[in-house]
Amino acid sequence: MGADTIDKVLMTGNEAMAEAGIRAGCRAYFGYPITPQNELLEYMSAHMPQAGGAFIQAESEIAAINMCYGASAAGVRTMTSSSSPGISLKMEGISYIAGADLPCVIVNVVRGGPGLGNIAPAQGDYFQATKGGGHGDYRMIVLGPSTIPEATEHVMLAFELADKYRGPVMILADGMLGQMMEPVVLPKPVDPATLPAKPWALTGAKGREPNIVTSFYLDPEELNMMDVKRESRYRQIEEQEVRYEEHETADATVVIAAYGSVARIARTVVKMARGEGIKLGLLRPISLWPFPYAPLRAIADRVDAILTVEMNAGQMVEDVRLAVAERAQTPFYGVLGGLVPTPKDILREVKRYAG
Amino acid sequence: MPRGAIIVDKERCKGCGLCLVFCPQDVLAFSGEHNRSSYDVVCMKHPEQCTGCGFCAQTCPDIAIEVYRQKKPKDGS
Ligand code: SF4
Ligand code: SF4
Repeated sequence: MGADTIDKVLMTGNEAMAEAGIRAGCRAYFGYPITPQNELLEYMSAHMPQAGGAFIQAESEIAAINMCYGASAAGVRTMTSSSSPGISLKMEGISYIAGADLPCVIVNVVRGGPGLGNIAPAQGDYFQATKGGGHGDYRMIVLGPSTIPEATEHVMLAFELADKYRGPVMILADGMLGQMMEPVVLPKPVDPATLPAKPWALTGAKGREPNIVTSFYLDPEELNMMDVKRESRYRQIEEQEVRYEEHETADATVVIAAYGSVARIARTVVKMARGEGIKLGLLRPISLWPFPYAPLRAIADRVDAILTVEMNAGQMVEDVRLAVAERAQTPFYGVLGGLVPTPKDILREVKRYAG
Repeated sequence: MPRGAIIVDKERCKGCGLCLVFCPQDVLAFSGEHNRSSYDVVCMKHPEQCTGCGFCAQTCPDIAIEVYRQKKPKDGS
């Protein structure tokens, strides 16, 4: 039975994100199999046709992202998903989509890397997602969910933001979020017919001037104009779309900065530390771009240390250090290879900076 | 001691290793055999030690384990 008739279901993250995509009004999904993301694609293949949409298992990741480009240009809410090595392949297309000002939702169920790496959960794609990845001056809104209900909400939000700002939006999940099961209250389905019109879309030029969707401007003046316009939209995103969560930070002397699955583990660490009388808090960036620099800076003024914990060799910590500067210590603790830190591991690190 | 055995649905197993941690008899291990999604699936390394307690099946988040328990002999011997 599909999840279309029930609202609270036990689902893997991958399935929940797929169902949320359909409920968000996505009617064109293109993908290519890769573990640990497969269930998302499989769910789409089973349920997208019933929703009256298009599902295509493309011949490659590159083909899939370019199909998204086409569908989005035609005004359809479109989505693709993959895992790290596959996302690298999509980066060219993502740059084109950004350059053509097209909305598109991309889910990255991150696995260990670099190269083929492995299929275990990791956060090694933070740089790729938030600092470019593809070529040219573009930005991509990146959301880092830490639970499956949140991943579901993020898919709905990603489609809204992609349409609003006309650009690619990425959900940066990981192998754990993709594979884990949790009860999810599914969002109410959106009828694509009720979505705001897209006057720029290629819907047939009968009776009107033709629209052009392109990222190619040979004249530097013209390209400059397009780029500057896009940049001003990015500034607007930085002002309006910063999302984060603070947990027990009011009286904290040490604060953990962590996103995604690690933030979930860090919540347990906060509880353990508080039980031992250590005033520990957590700041969880939810939007990884735009990054919550200002809230981190505000916390830095009143704590001794902000410990960044990641499942990588230290990527988000660069943004934390940019925000904090010399206001507090900014140590880093990371695990590599697709390993997941335990609460005990993190608490041991916290104790080096507490008290 | 009642004897048991388990069957792992290899295509459902995601190699998370939870069953391995919770088996009180140290029966389970990773097999080194990879399924279609490339997960290293679990197998019975020490089948003779399995009591059929079912902990592994209860722990498995993906319902990949089926447990069989030997019937008690009727004559009580
Ligand atoms: S049934 Fe019990 S003893 Fe047998 S493998 Fe499972 S947990 Fe171990
Ligand atoms: S708990 Fe289930 S999914 Fe995890 S390793 Fe054991 S059999 Fe496989």
